Amino acid sequence: MNAFTAIGDWFANALAWVLGRSETPPRIPIGTWFEQGIDALRERGGAFFDLVGGFIAWVVDLLAALFHQPPATALAVGGAAVIAAAMLRTRRRAALITAAAVVALFVLEALTGVLNTLISTGGIPSFFFLWAMALFQVDFVFPPLIIALLALAAFAVLAALPGGGRRPRVVAACAVAAVLLAYGLVWLVGVPVPLLVTALFAVLAWRVAGWRLALFTVLGFLLIIAMNMWAGAMDSLALVLVASTIAVVIAVPIGIAAAYNDGVSRVVRPVLDLMQTMPAFVYLIPAVSFFSIGAVPGVIATIIFAMPPGVRLTELGIRQVDPELVEAGEAFGAPPGQILARIQFPLALSTVMAGVNQVIMLSLSMVVIAGMVGAGGLGSDVYEGVTRLQLPQGFEGGVAVVILAIFLDRLTAAVSRRSATTAARQGAEA
Amino acid sequence: MPAAVRAAKVYKVFGKRAERAVKDLEAGATREEVRAYGATAAVIDVSFDVEPGEIFVVMGLSGSGKSTLIRMLNGLLVPTSGTVEVDGTDITRLKPAQLRQMRSQKVSMVFQHFALFPHRNVLENTAYGLEVRGVPVDERQHRAAQALELVGLKGWERNLPEQLSGGMRQRVGLARALAADTPIVLMDEAFSALDPLIRRDMQTQLLELQSELGKTIVFITHDLNEAMRLGDRVGVLRDGRAVQIGTAEEILNDPANDYVAQFVEDVDRTRVLTASSVMAAPIPVVGAEAGPRAALRTLRENQTSVAFVLRRDRRLVGVVHEKTIGPAVRTGQKSLDGLVDTDVQRVSPDTSVADLFAPAAESSVPLAVVDDAGRLRGVIPRVTLLAALAGNGNGNGAETADAGHDAAAAEPADTSRTEPDTAEPADTAEPAEDADASDRPAAGADPAETPAEDPADPPPDTGPAPPDAAGEERHGGQGAAR
Repeated sequence: MNAFTAIGDWFANALAWVLGRSETPPRIPIGTWFEQGIDALRERGGAFFDLVGGFIAWVVDLLAALFHQPPATALAVGGAAVIAAAMLRTRRRAALITAAAVVALFVLEALTGVLNTLISTGGIPSFFFLWAMALFQVDFVFPPLIIALLALAAFAVLAALPGGGRRPRVVAACAVAAVLLAYGLVWLVGVPVPLLVTALFAVLAWRVAGWRLALFTVLGFLLIIAMNMWAGAMDSLALVLVASTIAVVIAVPIGIAAAYNDGVSRVVRPVLDLMQTMPAFVYLIPAVSFFSIGAVPGVIATIIFAMPPGVRLTELGIRQVDPELVEAGEAFGAPPGQILARIQFPLALSTVMAGVNQVIMLSLSMVVIAGMVGAGGLGSDVYEGVTRLQLPQGFEGGVAVVILAIFLDRLTAAVSRRSATTAARQGAEA
Repeated sequence: MPAAVRAAKVYKVFGKRAERAVKDLEAGATREEVRAYGATAAVIDVSFDVEPGEIFVVMGLSGSGKSTLIRMLNGLLVPTSGTVEVDGTDITRLKPAQLRQMRSQKVSMVFQHFALFPHRNVLENTAYGLEVRGVPVDERQHRAAQALELVGLKGWERNLPEQLSGGMRQRVGLARALAADTPIVLMDEAFSALDPLIRRDMQTQLLELQSELGKTIVFITHDLNEAMRLGDRVGVLRDGRAVQIGTAEEILNDPANDYVAQFVEDVDRTRVLTASSVMAAPIPVVGAEAGPRAALRTLRENQTSVAFVLRRDRRLVGVVHEKTIGPAVRTGQKSLDGLVDTDVQRVSPDTSVADLFAPAAESSVPLAVVDDAGRLRGVIPRVTLLAALAGNGNGNGAETADAGHDAAAAEPADTSRTEPDTAEPADTAEPAEDADASDRPAAGADPAETPAEDPADPPPDTGPAPPDAAGEERHGGQGAAR
């Protein structure tokens, strides 16, 4: 009844305005409706959003810490993961079983602290740890580190076993050497972590894109260190990586669905336009109301802003695949999933990667705006510089953003040039 | 034994109101009538059986519905009405998963534009059918390598499709279909994208492979010669309807209607062959400026009673007969004026052989083949014409060509024998020069080429000849294959 009278009033007002009896035009308060919708969502799905927000915050922190001051455990886990990935081809089952065992150990330790009690009660002879504790000058044994080291050792041994092929063995040797080198340099020699991380990025750049980008990486990141922007830059990098990863994970399936179905495509396109053109500040506000201040609303806003090219280019890439090739797959009886995974997606990959590149670049451009909601990183530096009229700080933050942008852009561009076909080409030459 | 593939009253209508369109077509409506309400009838009431081990060719021009038809044979398209049976199973009733299984086990396909996966090497492409079927890596690679060896691509396994030529790519496409080890292979204009010579090689190879492996092959083409060469039986498709189905001979000798007859007309020898493809080199030849004495000597040396008289630019003046030259020499006449018989039957190089009979009957001397500029290109004695008409085998075309070659070799000597009498030392070179100057804009043919060489070297004006030669080869090839 109330709604009816409200609608009646609105039409009466509209009529009065049209006839010139009233000065105020009939108002359509879609902003208020939007807010009401957000509030309703927030009330109903509060737990869900807390969970998502908590997860995002955890990943961003983890990644930032990894770039910033990597814990010994993370390095060992990373090394183990690299070896496991190399083994996936030749010894898939052994690798998966070992990985499952390691995860189970971690969970067991986290839930019951069984390892901790074993160590402290002398269940494991203490001479295993004492020398290491003395060498690294630590006062207690960190159980997850033990598990991580065990995992590293297990994978290394698995890879070294005969019959696994040459490649996993080489990778394992390199990974173990790299982890030990990092331990030695950081905890025994005392080399600053930023230098080490810079070297790591430079190696990555050299492998993926060549020595020019490696040189740029070294100079650029040294400049970031020298500008005292390292912490901010690594926070931003973590934020960008998390946001882009989530954006790509959401965007690619949507893009595929849009490529398969014209109806989906027609619906998705205007939504993408909306996401791209709506000023980013506008969805920062509800993001904050969902996830409060911090990195999470920054990540969410970044995802929304950066996702569209991922969707568009995935759709384009899939649609561009020669229909005759798809037909060939069908003619030989391949099911649709296999056609997608083995024909369409590999052939669309370079276009999809161009989309990923765009996602990353747009994410980076959101960093500064995310700084406004306390996402930290370079955005905060720049935002502070602007609000306090401190030109040097703002400029230095801006330069750091540019360096990150060039690094990420050239790196992903180089990856996108390595399409499935060029990879096959390299395989054919070898 | 059941038919390998059987299509029964198959209709395929695209667009709106397909069902209604089928009913109307059954009731006798035309394609245009159903198009009026937005239905595009691609295939209309087509029925045929393909026996196991047979090559069945579906021939039709573009838009005749042949690609749609072949795609219904493996279920890529579902007929709007009618049934398609593969090995006795009605595939129009299969569920998608069963249909996929049927394809991977019974029917493979070769595509017009090869449809090779650019991101996979030749071996992986060839093994694709087995990969889909879930054959373990080692076995499928082994079998793919065997299939590649079969098509003559051993040693190319690690190359990418882009590194191969068109013919080799299609051989990979063929190997992919063979490696899948299905009893039935569909080939959709498989050789149409290849250039003619490669296409003939591929046809030969296909016939050899088929006689070796005994596959059932449904082959789509728009090329009649290809259809005639490959097909045990040929179905001619026009505007979606099967106009005639029968053996190549049946279709050639007994075309079902005007449409087929028109097609078949193209392989009628007398219509395909042109004057330029049967003509022989004009010997003997006398220069227009030569005297009767020289002309007589030429006649005697060649032991003929007639010689063609040419100007220096090889334009035909006429013929001289021994019976008029003899008296002239005796009376001491210095030039050929008044002795040349200009009443010679002239035909253009593009005249079809069928149209040569009437002039040949009227003329006592060989027909003169002259080009637009009036230059003599060759001559057609009646014997040659009859030989061309009788020739079903390779015989005549080749013989004429050979004769042409010999004549070409002999001719320069011939002219040098005749011309010195005119006391113009530069003469042998000059005709070529003259011709050179006048020829370029007029005719495309190279004037340095003596006319005699034309039959041996067919290009532009003998266009239809090579396909026909292919048609002849067909008989030989098929005989060998069966």
